[in-house]
Amino acid sequence: MILLQNVSKAFSGQPVIQSVALSIEQGEIHGIIGASGAGKSTLLRLMNLLERPDTGRVEFDGMDLTNLPNRQLRQTRQNIGMIFQDFNLVGNKTVEQNIGVSLELARVKKCEQADRIQECLRFVGLESFARKYPSELSGGQKQRVAIARALANRPRVLLCDEPTSSLDPSTTSEILRVLQDINQTLGVTIVLVSHEMQVIQSICNRVTIMADGQIETTIATEPAGITEITSDAGWFLTQLTERRDPHA
Amino acid sequence: MPDIVLEYASEIRLAIGQTFVMVGISILAAVLVGLPLGTWLYLSRKGQLLSNRFVFSSLNLLVNTIRSFPFLLLVVFLIPFTRIIIGTAIGTAAATVPLAVIAIAHYSRLVEQSLLEVPKGVIEAAVSMGASTREVVVKFLFVEARSGLVLGLTTSIVSFISYSTIMGVVGGGGIGDFAVRYGYQQFQTELMLYMILIMVILVQLIQFAGTTVARLLDKR
Ligand SMILES: Nc1ncnc2c1ncn2[C@@H]1O[C@H](COP(=O)(O)OP(=O)(O)OP(=O)(O)O)[C@@H](O)[C@H]1O
Ligand SMILES: [Mg+2]
Repeated sequence: MILLQNVSKAFSGQPVIQSVALSIEQGEIHGIIGASGAGKSTLLRLMNLLERPDTGRVEFDGMDLTNLPNRQLRQTRQNIGMIFQDFNLVGNKTVEQNIGVSLELARVKKCEQADRIQECLRFVGLESFARKYPSELSGGQKQRVAIARALANRPRVLLCDEPTSSLDPSTTSEILRVLQDINQTLGVTIVLVSHEMQVIQSICNRVTIMADGQIETTIATEPAGITEITSDAGWFLTQLTERRDPHA
Repeated sequence: MPDIVLEYASEIRLAIGQTFVMVGISILAAVLVGLPLGTWLYLSRKGQLLSNRFVFSSLNLLVNTIRSFPFLLLVVFLIPFTRIIIGTAIGTAAATVPLAVIAIAHYSRLVEQSLLEVPKGVIEAAVSMGASTREVVVKFLFVEARSGLVLGLTTSIVSFISYSTIMGVVGGGGIGDFAVRYGYQQFQTELMLYMILIMVILVQLIQFAGTTVARLLDKR
């Protein structure tokens, strides 16, 4: 589904991704884990060309995205949803407007938009929140809206950059359940970046481990299932989170 | 109404009209040219969507240069240019040229600053959804920065009123000019104070309106 071949990326001369090869298979939930600064986010952003590689190919469905003209690249991006740690919702748009704008970008007919918005909101369980603004929602609800927005154009892949890292443990489980549901009922392939081992273990079929801009290994795992994360584990997560970016 | 104001009623009405024309044209220039220019300034910055060092430095230098001119010197400096555009360098119409120039420079800087406050992640999300640069600007940046853009315009308008008061030097007229010629120069201090009062009320109203609109627009 997504194929990276010999991809490298440097920021102002500093190599961040070094000749990486990775294949994301149709239908899987693929985890990417690694220490802070390992290049996980950059690797994910290369998959929809938010970051352009210096060398190598980035294929989506057999198409090399790096050679695509701008217009086609934008159309292809509508098949690749993305969600983020900080949700990145438009604060001045209501929940339905946030989802609606993604449909507008894809030129979905006006009359169809309302139905599609409802459908997405139902999927993430927020039907009654359509008219609310993001500032009126909790973190978990915001991430659900972001998920609904990413699903609006019925993407084939969903890229997730630390989608649970600013959420508490029980909300984390909820969001993971939604992601698993998207994968199982809608057949959407998921790439999940996280630095939390428990998150990765709970839903991923395969895991890629990164260090210093390179892939150490990719291993197949049996999803352990989403367990209610205990307070001990919660504490463990907080530790990890705090260790993660001392500069933030 | 005080007698002295009534005595000069028609002159005052004319002066207010001239101020409105001068400030109105400034606002128009700010919105029609300053907003796109400020957006371009923002977009051409390092790391932004149309990042281009040459474009950014040039625009930046241009805006800084215009803004660093003492306004009176800018008016004089622009006289030949005004003559080409309007056909004369004297009068209210001619006065709108330097006012429009400073309005564009003034507001474009404030636009750039408002846009810089939009979280980068929002733009990133927009791009990931397949938005073109134009769509990012219209459907995301302007929406998210709208209250800042309104507050910036309010600040700009207050400055435009102040700039308009010195346009008497090129026969632009306006309330400021009236206050100087009839109030100060003819020793009718009372008349001058009334003109200042009009200006104060005008600025208060504009500031109140701008702040209110900005607050209503802000849902973040
Ligand atoms: N736009 C950029 N400009 C310059 N350097 C960058 C940029 N983006 C990332 N980097 C650098 O690239 C390296 C990898 O960053 P990346 O965000 O991919 O790491 P990460 O594995 O996602 O880390 P984290 O767990 O902290 O999110 C870091 O050293 C970072 O400073
Ligand atoms: Mg990251």
